[in-house]
Amino acid sequence: MSTVLDHATGVPTGTPPQDSARATPARARRSSAISRHTHPMWFLVPAFAILFVFFFLPTVFNFVYAFTDWSGFKSQINPVGWDNFTDLAGSGTLYASLRITIGYAVLVAVFQNLFGFALAVLLERDTRLNHLVRVLFLIPVLMSALAVGYIFQALLKPEGALNGLLSALTGADVHTAWLGSTSWTIVVVAAIHAWKWMGLSMLIYLAGFKTIPVDLVEAAHIDGASPWRAFWCIRFPLLAPAVTFNVATALLGSMNGFDIVQATTAGGPARTTEILNIFIYRTFGQGLFAQATTMSLMLFLLVALLAFPVIRFLRKREEIL
Amino acid sequence: MRMPRRALAALALVALVATGCSDPASETTTGGPATWAEPTAKLDGVTLTIWAAQNSNTVPKQVIEAFQAATGAKVDVVTIPDPYEQSVQTKVATGDKPDLAFWQPTASMLTALNAKANLQTLDGAPWLDKLTPALRDITGLLDGARYAALVTSPAVEGVYYNKEVFAANGITATPKNFGEMLTAARQLKAKGVTPFFEMGKDRWATQWWVQVQLADAAKAGLWDKINKKQETFSSPVVLDAIKQYQALINEGLFNADIKTATFDDQGAALLSGKAAMAVQVNSFFGQLQAKADTATLDAKIGFFPISPTGNVGTFIPDQSNALVAFKTGDAKREAAARQLLAYWMGPGYAGFIADRKTVSLQTAVQSPAGVPKALLDVHSSLSSSVGSMQALAVANPDLYINLADMIAGTMTPEQVATTTQEQFAQLAKAAGVPGF
Repeated sequence: MSTVLDHATGVPTGTPPQDSARATPARARRSSAISRHTHPMWFLVPAFAILFVFFFLPTVFNFVYAFTDWSGFKSQINPVGWDNFTDLAGSGTLYASLRITIGYAVLVAVFQNLFGFALAVLLERDTRLNHLVRVLFLIPVLMSALAVGYIFQALLKPEGALNGLLSALTGADVHTAWLGSTSWTIVVVAAIHAWKWMGLSMLIYLAGFKTIPVDLVEAAHIDGASPWRAFWCIRFPLLAPAVTFNVATALLGSMNGFDIVQATTAGGPARTTEILNIFIYRTFGQGLFAQATTMSLMLFLLVALLAFPVIRFLRKREEIL
Repeated sequence: MRMPRRALAALALVALVATGCSDPASETTTGGPATWAEPTAKLDGVTLTIWAAQNSNTVPKQVIEAFQAATGAKVDVVTIPDPYEQSVQTKVATGDKPDLAFWQPTASMLTALNAKANLQTLDGAPWLDKLTPALRDITGLLDGARYAALVTSPAVEGVYYNKEVFAANGITATPKNFGEMLTAARQLKAKGVTPFFEMGKDRWATQWWVQVQLADAAKAGLWDKINKKQETFSSPVVLDAIKQYQALINEGLFNADIKTATFDDQGAALLSGKAAMAVQVNSFFGQLQAKADTATLDAKIGFFPISPTGNVGTFIPDQSNALVAFKTGDAKREAAARQLLAYWMGPGYAGFIADRKTVSLQTAVQSPAGVPKALLDVHSSLSSSVGSMQALAVANPDLYINLADMIAGTMTPEQVATTTQEQFAQLAKAAGVPGF
């Protein structure tokens, strides 16, 4: 059914960049003429200067120092070839951290999208109350991640507010160490990370819903589709670009996670939440700067290697539309 | 991801330039032997910065006030957040240095600060002759040069016990060796008392249990052999100590909540008599002092050093025991930093230890009244004690984290040993220790 509709409307979905990409050549020529006149290229210089100094240069140094013996113990920095890489490959700690990092990223991606999607569905109608609630759910996105981490750490302590609330509700003395289990803490921390960012996912899903033309859904209703079927067969597939963005940013963003984990568990208990960035931080703190750099290079490569197939796969999903 | 060829060329150029860079922390000032100004010489207009940790930032309060009044200098104490050592090393690596900092004065931790490049040598300091001879060269030295000033009595790993619990359960004399201590522990357990208390969640004290079991081996040169790769953490002597620790935990000689217990819980348990003993260091007693007054502590808490064959303590000077002075490149401030240390350990010393109620390190200065009995016992065990891993090994691996993982059940003793050895080798290699 959805394919019929798609043919009928000529693929009306997509994020604005896609629309402009499909714009007629004449329009494209006109807009580029405008940009040439009103926005000289050198306007980009300040932004690129900042990008260069704070992102590009460190990334380059990341490649360079990974091949040296830079440490806090001596002043000279000598090249050592692939030594750091072979040492790392031989150590089990790196693999353990990598495993935890990927597990964490997948959990965050799942939670953040579930929460964000549910919120977007619940708050889709443009009522005054919904406007207010949307703002409330967006506040955690604007909060400092460390603050979020410390707040949850305090709430989830054995003598924290959550257990206090549960004790009051159940009448029994609840003393659960929510961040104390060696198998479940990673799930709890991922949920906290997802909680912080779910407002952003919600916003993007909301925007996605807004781009779906009303007549499409109306047509489905006229064709006799139930609201449930209309939602899952028409509107949900048309959200694909929003899913692409949300899954990719949540997955790849949480691979670079540090602050929330550091504030809640600092990698504990028993290193079961020691994601790669915490391991890197610990290694750097010991003065093993080159090793820490090598690890962060590995993380960079891992994120890059994962980004391509993930985004490609999600883009493929969009093409079916 | 399409990258123009010109951008690639630029990238390659940057990479080439970058390889010519050196460590920003490496700029150093070299000079002749340090001169030592009169401790109370005028220093108007000079501002000194001292870095301290959350548990040491109040230590210098009194002595700094006195120094400021005497010299006219201004001294700022800046608290560096925990983990202190990690934060300081990171700052120093980027070229950010104070004039003075509290620092663990062991060789491995001085290496970690790249002492030769970053720290002033304190050779020939005026206070050295006044120190108790046994303590003069106990620590603060690296490759024959002195980099740290010991201001308080270095910590000793040993057993803090609740005297009332011992007496109530018929233990009249403190154990004379590790075996006797275990006999006493089993006796206590039979009577329903928790013999030992360990803090699995806060982790850092877990290593004391292994280190006190190594005291005799340390006396026989264990750490020298480990430094030369003749022994490793997987050698039977170390591995057996780790296994023994796990066996004692499995036997039920420790608190039931060992996995989640904290440093704070440990102090509360020993003070209340919920547990009979804890293997700990001086900062543990500092925590007890925050919970009870000296009279109560004298009545309740005792200390005895322990080793497999006797009562040998294992000393581990910590960050609150000593200060290092940095080479900042400003000769005036460097001299003022040395002068502050000379004042602290000279005319200001009596006032300092009286304020801190701590044991005197100098023969001519009496320890003030009101130093708890347990601390005096700790101090008197120093002269016969042996060095800890931190004091004698060339690198300081995270043994405690691995042991805490073993307690949590995610590592075996063998894994603890190999992981610790791996990290030790990595650190030793980075520090340029021959053979690694």
